[in-house]
Amino acid sequence: MDRFFILRNHGNSYFVGHALIRVWALLLCSGLGALAQSTAPPVNASAPFSIRATHLLGLENTKSNCNGALSIQGEALQFQQGGTPGTEVKITSIQAAFLGGESKQVGGLPMKLGKAAAPYGGGRVVSLLAHKKYDTLTLEYVDSNGGLHGAIFQLSKGQGELVANFLKARGVSPSSGEYQATKQSTVEVMHENN
Amino acid sequence: MKTIRRSSSIIYVAAIVAIMVAFPAWLPAQTAAVKSSDASSGSAVQWSVQVDRVNPGDLEVAHSFQVAIYENLLKELNKTKQFKQVFRDGDRNASDVPNLLVLQTTVEKYTPGNETRRAVTTVSGATKLTVRSQILTREGKIVLERTVNGDVRFFGSNLRATHNLARNIAKAIKQSRWDVG
Repeated sequence: MDRFFILRNHGNSYFVGHALIRVWALLLCSGLGALAQSTAPPVNASAPFSIRATHLLGLENTKSNCNGALSIQGEALQFQQGGTPGTEVKITSIQAAFLGGESKQVGGLPMKLGKAAAPYGGGRVVSLLAHKKYDTLTLEYVDSNGGLHGAIFQLSKGQGELVANFLKARGVSPSSGEYQATKQSTVEVMHENN
Repeated sequence: MKTIRRSSSIIYVAAIVAIMVAFPAWLPAQTAAVKSSDASSGSAVQWSVQVDRVNPGDLEVAHSFQVAIYENLLKELNKTKQFKQVFRDGDRNASDVPNLLVLQTTVEKYTPGNETRRAVTTVSGATKLTVRSQILTREGKIVLERTVNGDVRFFGSNLRATHNLARNIAKAIKQSRWDVG
């Protein structure tokens, strides 16, 4: 029976060469990692910032589940829907911001009806594929009377981090997911002052 | 063969439509704690209410859920027109109001759901919330206590559970009788 053998008896220079290649590869990888860390764009706190977002609920005088532009200009976070004047929240009044994620079905009501009408369970297969991941931004802020408000925005995947960076640059510390004790409520501060 | 196929698909669509039509009827069943027998509220004095922020208890409830319950509660309580004024947590104006009650909400059970799982399987992936709602006087006396459920089982996003929950809490408060004494 024929067998194939691979001769592993290499010279010393072969091993030195391999060792050098490995060291270079290691250095290259770590260098790339460091480069990747430093490529995160530095956030200019004073630069205006605007992204497309969906207002899920909470903002006053704004419809729920409506699309618009979420922007940070000067000292205010603004949500503007179409040509209407936007709703503003002062950044200094924001007590806490939370990032989260959500997976939702796409297509709305027409898609739902289509899926329901599809025979032989075809709608279920479509449901399996027709979903999209979103980021959610939850804000807790106080009004001029000290009343607590909450607002939830739905953003495209990855944009939550971007808003968080801008808010962080302006002194708000967003947290992602887990429970975080929020700042003292205004009432508590009032009691302490009395 | 074609006619059999056509008729079976018609039956299938008809069954789905029937489920869709029947589904809203399940919603009132969600409020296990609401008793229709003890109808009409409290006394002749018109009370105002202050809604406290939602207490997640020992559970890790997503912040978006806590905020959504709080905001939906404010909206639903305003809709019932049962209270003279509905104040937010921390509102300084509430301290000057003579007849003020405080609504506290504590999450007791929370099952995070999945919209895709609901759409694919129908029977699993429901988002479920159970909260204990207490109405207290300024002095801390409990006037009303109810355990209320809210969930989303079939259609809608996960946050819809908070809307259903808030509506059920408002309904429970409206249908209950309380004695401030």
